[in-house]
This record gives sequence, structure tokens and C-alpha cells, in this order.
Amino acid sequence: MNLPIPHADPMPLPAPVWLLRTLLLLTFFLHVLFMNCLLGGTAIALVSMLRRKSSAFCARLAGELGRLLPSIFAFTITLGVAPLLFLQVMYGQFLYASSILIGVPWLAIIAVVVVAYYGVYFYSMHKQSGMTTAVLALVVLLLASIAFVYSNNFTLMLSPERWLEIYRSNAGGWNLNWSEPSLLPRYLHFVLGAFAVSGLGLLVLGLRQKADDYRQWLIEQGSMLFTGATILNFGVGFWFLARLPVSTRLAFIGGNGFATALLGIGMLLPLAAIAHLIMAKANKSPQRQMVIGISCGVLTVAVMVIMRDVLRNLALAPYFSLNQLPVAPQWNIILIFVVLFVAGLATLYYMLRKVAIGSRMQTAAAQKAE
Amino acid sequence: MNYPVWQLGFPGGLLIAAVAVLHVFISHFAVGGGAYLVLTERRAYAHNDSELLGYVRLHSKFFVLLTAVLGAVTGVGIWFTIGLVSPEATSSLIHTFVWGWAIEWVFFFVEIAAALIYAYNWDTLDRKTHLIIGWIYFVAAWLSLVVINGIITYMLTPGRWLETRTFWDGFFNPTYWPSLWVRTAMAAALAGMFGLVTAMRERSPLRERVVRWAGWWLVLGIAALLPLSRWYFHDFPAYSRAYFGGAHTAVQHALRGGATCAGIALLLAVVFALLRPKMMNAVVVAVLLVAGIGVMGSGEYLREFSRYPYVINSYIYANDIRMAELLGITANGVAKSSPWVEMNADDSNSYGRQLLVMECGTCHSVESYRGMRKFARGWDAKFASELLLHLPVVRETMPPFAGDEHDRAALGGYLASLAPATPSGANEKELGQQVFAIHCSMCHSVGGQRRPLDLKGTDPDAIVGMVGSLHDMSPDMPSFTGSDVERRALAVYLSSPSQ
Repeated sequence: MNLPIPHADPMPLPAPVWLLRTLLLLTFFLHVLFMNCLLGGTAIALVSMLRRKSSAFCARLAGELGRLLPSIFAFTITLGVAPLLFLQVMYGQFLYASSILIGVPWLAIIAVVVVAYYGVYFYSMHKQSGMTTAVLALVVLLLASIAFVYSNNFTLMLSPERWLEIYRSNAGGWNLNWSEPSLLPRYLHFVLGAFAVSGLGLLVLGLRQKADDYRQWLIEQGSMLFTGATILNFGVGFWFLARLPVSTRLAFIGGNGFATALLGIGMLLPLAAIAHLIMAKANKSPQRQMVIGISCGVLTVAVMVIMRDVLRNLALAPYFSLNQLPVAPQWNIILIFVVLFVAGLATLYYMLRKVAIGSRMQTAAAQKAE
Repeated sequence: MNYPVWQLGFPGGLLIAAVAVLHVFISHFAVGGGAYLVLTERRAYAHNDSELLGYVRLHSKFFVLLTAVLGAVTGVGIWFTIGLVSPEATSSLIHTFVWGWAIEWVFFFVEIAAALIYAYNWDTLDRKTHLIIGWIYFVAAWLSLVVINGIITYMLTPGRWLETRTFWDGFFNPTYWPSLWVRTAMAAALAGMFGLVTAMRERSPLRERVVRWAGWWLVLGIAALLPLSRWYFHDFPAYSRAYFGGAHTAVQHALRGGATCAGIALLLAVVFALLRPKMMNAVVVAVLLVAGIGVMGSGEYLREFSRYPYVINSYIYANDIRMAELLGITANGVAKSSPWVEMNADDSNSYGRQLLVMECGTCHSVESYRGMRKFARGWDAKFASELLLHLPVVRETMPPFAGDEHDRAALGGYLASLAPATPSGANEKELGQQVFAIHCSMCHSVGGQRRPLDLKGTDPDAIVGMVGSLHDMSPDMPSFTGSDVERRALAVYLSSPSQ
């Protein structure tokens, strides 16, 4: 069959594939961590708001999340820009085509992000009330719908055999990728993953508190959320696997050594995380075990990000391979980027350090005044 | 050709314009406003002015809410939009400048972090550190302009890049510097403009102090715009400078509109901010903001329009067709070049419609903006398909038609089917006027600016003869396809057009 896959850009890639892929995966991994904390965090804030009258801890957590969420939102977006850039340079002919086919929901993401972002600020800047709860509920809904559109586009870009049919049914971009068998399990798998990661976020939040009941409560809630969401995700993950095209599925269960190993590690790591969290509960000095547990959880995300990339390349393998693209690296500019990137990180470190020192001094001064 | 076309019902270019104008309005404020914040803060410390400090604290929150949310997200929005409307050009830009964008992303990252830290740590940081964070913000924000400016100006004036294809030749292109300073001046003006917005929440006498201070930013920014934009426009490519000559009414409107808005803003700022700050009020500020959008919008419009018929000058046409592909498409036909069009032997109009979408859809619609039903009134299929051979002559801003004879026939037939009309008139001259409107007015005027036909007093019989051999007079003219009666009427009209 003649597929309508656009020709790759005639210009060569301005960097070797390994570098672009590394940057894509690295920045996407960071984006996913923040994005998960945003989606899961707003949902946790919503539940906390609903229970704030019966639980003082919930009210406190809701307030704390209100202070954190705007920054998490900012970094979700900022960190999302970089992977989108690297994705376009490598897979542009697939991504642009599928985006055009679902142009309306795809572009609507921008408006929805703006509304959700202001919703988070509204929540953050106002006293806890029924109104802020309602706004938060809307935000959760909007963020979940953004994730859904992303799932649609990133599956559709892998299915050029469906493009013409979709385009002929509606060329105005009023489409989604409903006929994709893996759409729902993939979406659910990622959303549940977001809840699990935000459970880890609660753990981190707890570990940073002074030793008291609130800290204990946060740690318990975080462990429960991570464990519950992860166990459910095993089921959804198998469903997802079952809905992949046969060739891709087979690659993950023995056909391709790397893919299979990733799947194995991807299942063992969260189990290790859960085990450490349970052990931490039984242990008297749980800090170390909890940090190991959290690290295993975060590593799971890294493995999942790589698996997702492997899945993409497997799905595109019949039509395209990154290695077929001509390469002409712009080394001098890459060098400037690296230098500036390091300088940027140093600046960021400087600023955050100053804020940390300032906050500590402020807390100390406040305690002295008491 | 390579990509499907998002069929919106209106030209995709409009969508880009809407998102872009909103974004640049806020993003230039994000640059200038950074300097405004730190310098106002410093001023408050220097004069020990706690009221002014209170104002700048409030302003910093407003600043973050507007720039870090709407400003940043609409910036991503431009990306989304250009990828949807001009994927070929977007892909090309990304391949040329991915590292430019990566560098801009570093600045963007630092910028957002610094903005949040600046706005929410007035009490946690000591004065000196807080000012340093403010400067970090401003420098990062301006540097992100320094980077993106290279990519934007490259599209209009790729300069030596066309031969060398190297990053730096595209980046530091002929309009790089003037554009950078025009945008910096605009950023200063917008800093003042938005400084006035939050000043309206303050009470006298602080309010007057802030109004005058913000007023200087606005006045100096706008005043600098005048010489800088002359420099900028002067460095435009010769072909697009010709657009400023008067033949394109839209360009004239944009030029006059932009200049008027700048004049109004300057006048209002001098009177209400510098001379009579007590009289400054929310209505004047609102007018200033509208004028600001006017200046920004017309500037962007002129830059975009000046690029026509290209989206990347001399490389990719405005309809996303690569110059290098043109010959191939003309030889093989669109149906063989693009998998997205569907040829239907029984319905050539449907094929013609798809060609219109694919080749003209960035700028034209059927019914709405630059609607072809209006332009094609009275055209017959032969005339329309012949006209397609001469698009860059009909309008210098149009790319050549890409397609073979069969494609031209299909699109011509479709255009002719949009608004069939037989010219009629109470007398010969009225009929002639209508014939002129249908067959000549795309390229010519009678007594107007656009290729005026001055045949007044010429013997109608001689004109009839000329109309019969248009193609011999100029290879750029399609042959006349009207009836003999219409030809005669046209000649009568042209020989004595007035009365």
C-alpha cells in the first residue's frame, strides 16, 4: 500500500542521532516527572479540598499544594518545550501530519493550558472555599483532557496507515484517534503512572517536614497512593501490551532483547519500590529505605520513558529509521548550547540556593520573635 | 503537497496572525518589563520610597501572571500553529535552527525560574540579591529575544544562507540588527504601557510619580521606534520594499495604521503621563494598550506581508511548497506529487477544490477572508486556467501555480463554477465596465495606481484589435475569452471610461 508519509526534510539533522535522542529522552523524562506531579498534584489537592473540613491534615496539604502547583505548572511547560523541539527535528514528518489531522483538539491544548494554568493560580491565590474547589475540579478535568489529546496524537503519528481515512472523513481537524486499539489503555497507564509519581511527591513532601503526625500522615498517604496506583497499573500495563500490534508486542516479550529487558526492569523496579516502602513502615529509621523506594519509583519513570521511545521506533520501523537521515552536525553551536546550558543550570542553582538561605533565615527570625 | 492541509474554512495565515500578535504583545512586555521592574525597584531603594516599592511588588505579581502564563503558553501556541499551517516551513526552520531554539530554551528556562523567584521572594531575599535575580531575569529575557530575532528575520532576509546554508549566515542576516533594536525599543514602550496599567491601582501622589516614570519608558520607546523602523524597513529585500509603494492597499493601511497608532500613543503619553499625570486614567491607558497592539500588529503584518510570495524568502513559498519542488510538480501534476489529493474522474470540481485548498488555502478561502467566490465572479474556465499561469504577475505576492495542464484546467473549472455571471449592462459602456471588472481588473485599473490602462480617446476599433492579441502584446497576459459583443463593449469603455 502507498502510505501518505511526507518526505523527511531535505536538510540534514544538525546533530548526530544519539545526541538528539539523548536530549529528547532526558528532557522528556524531566517533563514527565513535573507533569505527573501536576496532574496527580491537582487531583490530590482536589481530594484534600473535599475532605478539608473533616481533616486538618487535608486542609494543610491543600494549602501547601496551592503554593507549589503554580511553579510545578511553570516547569511542566518549560520542560515540555525541549522534548517537543527534539521530537520535531527527528520525527517531524510523522508528528506534523498527525497533528494536522487532529488540528482542532491539538491546537485547543494551548487555550486549555492557559485556562488550567490561571485556574491553578486562582486556587493558589484564594482562600479555601467551595469556589476554589470547583475551579480545581475544572483544572483536573482540563489537565486530564490535555493528556488525552497527547495520547491521541502520539499514537496517531505512529499509524500512517490510518491517516488518509481520517483526513477524508474530516479535513477540518475535528478528529481523534479513536480507532487506535491501544489508545485507552495507554492513556490510563500514563495517568495512573502520574498518580503513582505524585504519591512519590507526597513522600518527598513528607520527608522534608519536621517529625510530627502530619509528616507521618503525608508519608502514609504517599506510600498508599504510589502502591495502589502502581498495582492497578500492572493490570492496565498488561492490557496496554495486549492491545499493541502483534509485532511490537512480540518484541517486548522476547522478540527483541533490549525491549524485553526494559519491560522486565520496568516491572521489577516498581515492585522494589513498593517493597522498600513497606519495609520502611516496619522499620524504626525508615528514611534510607524510603529514599531507595522513591529512587526506584523515579527510575521506573526513566525506564518507561525509554520503553515508550523503543515502542515508537518499533512502530515506525516498517516505514522509517532514524539512521537513514543524513546528518551534518553543527558542532560549534552545539558547543555554545552546552556551555550556556551549564551556565543556565549554575544560575538556577545560584537562585534556588539564595532562596533556600533566605527562607531559612526568615524561619529562624520568625522563631526568634516567638 | 507533502503534508495534508488543515481545512479551517478560513486561511490558516489568519490563525497564525491572531496567535502571534497576542504573543508578541506580551512577550515584548516580558522583555522590557524585566528592566522596568529592576530599575523601578532600584529607584525605590535609592529614594527610600516605600510606596514605590509597594507598587513594584504588586507589579511583579501582575507581570508573572501575564508573561509567565499567557506570554509563555502563547509562545508554545505559535509553534503549534505554524506546525499545523506551514509544516514544511516549520520543519525547515527546525532543521536549520534547532540549536538556536535549544539555546533560547535555556534562556526561557532561566527566565521563568527567575521571574517566579523574583515575584514571590520579596521578603525572603535581601535587597541586593533580589535585584540580582531581577537582572538575571531581564538579561535572560532579552537574550531569548536576541536568539529568536535571528530566526524570525531569517525568514524575510535569509541573505547569504541561500548559498552557504550555514547557521550563522542565516542567523546574522541583513535585517538582524535593525529588527533587534526595533523590538528592544518596542519592549521598552510596552514596559511603560503595562507600568501604567498597574499604576491605575495606586492613589495620589504615588500614582502620579509612577505614571510619569512609566510615561518616560513609553515615550522614549515609541520615539526610538521611528528612526529604528525606518532603518529596519530600509533593509528589507528590494522586491518587498516595492510593496510599500502604494499598489497594495493593505500595506498602505498597515503603514498608516501603525504610524497613526504610534503617533496617538506618543501624544497621549506626553500629555497624560509627562505633562498632566494627574489626568491619566483607565480609559487613556486602555486607548494606549489598543494603540500598542496597533503598532505591534501592523509591524508584524508588514513583516509577514513583505515576505510574500514566500514564507522563507527564495526557499519555500507562502503555500508551503518548496521552490525546488516546483518544476517537478509542474511536470508530474499534483495528483502524482501529493498523496493527500484525490482525483475523481467524474468530478473534476472536487479535485479543483482540493487544489485550491492545497495551493491557495494559506491566504485564500472560498467564502470568507480573501474569498475566491468574490474574486472569481464571472470568470470562465478557460480564462481562469490561463490566469493560473500568471499568478506572480497578477499579484507579486502570489507564488506560481504548481501543477500540470490538467491541474490548471481542474482548478480553473472550479474557480469558474464559484460565481458564474454573464456581464450585462443598460448600455454598451456599462457592459464594457463589467467586462473590464471580470477580465482585466485583477491586474489593471483605469485611472488608478495599479498598472493603469490609459486608452482614453483611442479608437475603439483599434482597442478591439489589441484585445484580440493580448498574448502577443505581453506573454504575461491571458487571452481574452469574452464574446465579440463584450470585446467591443470593453473597447468602448476603455476609450471613454469617465462620465
